[in-house]
Amino acid sequence: MTNRIKELRAKYNLTQEELASKVGVRRETIVFLEQGKYNPSLKLAYDIACVLGTKVDDLFSF
Amino acid sequence: MTLKQYQKIKLILTVVLAFVFSQAIVLKSFVPPIILLLAVSLLLIMLRRRVTEVIADERDYITGGKSALLAIQIYSWLAVIGMFILYAFRDLNPAYEPVAMTLAYSTCVLMILYSLIFRYYNKVKLTDKKFIYIIFVFILFFVLAIASIRLFSGEDDWICKDGQWIEHGHPDFPSPAVPCK
Repeated sequence: MTNRIKELRAKYNLTQEELASKVGVRRETIVFLEQGKYNPSLKLAYDIACVLGTKVDDLFSF
Repeated sequence: MTLKQYQKIKLILTVVLAFVFSQAIVLKSFVPPIILLLAVSLLLIMLRRRVTEVIADERDYITGGKSALLAIQIYSWLAVIGMFILYAFRDLNPAYEPVAMTLAYSTCVLMILYSLIFRYYNKVKLTDKKFIYIIFVFILFFVLAIASIRLFSGEDDWICKDGQWIEHGHPDFPSPAVPCK
């Protein structure tokens, strides 16, 4: 599974720490997500998509 | 309070607890460490609420769950193997038997606790087939535990009575070396 978190985070000029704080997770989780080493829960995927102004299926691709 | 401050306080409290526990064992005084343990636990719960950052998230819980399951499996296997080895060599040293029994019962308690907590989180209904299987496993554990008590311990032992070690049944090991009080 790949994702566009890093790309969209850069677009909105957000740091990993800021994104983590907005969705209520630790910064390490965002690092793992961006590296594709962790599959998030549906809720976390939805929260990240909301913060990054996109839809879950645009953010993640299988 | 930041997460780093909380972690530092937690580390300091752990060191203090370890020191008090070691002193309590030396001084054979067991009430103060229990009181301190409760006080420290309450203090940590209060401090945890004051931390503004995220202490643990979903990834930590998933990793924690996997680690706990693996740790339980490894401990259970090692404890069962250790129990059989110690029990097999109990003739060499009678002290091996209580250690073997402690390992066996601690494994049983750990597995029962795991099953109960798993059931709680899994919210299994009473009519669910899974729950019936769990009950069956509990009954099996209970029967095995009773059988092991009857087979392995208690019946043939040395009992301290009026300052003397008296045979109870036919213990196949000598009376304890410690004075009978």
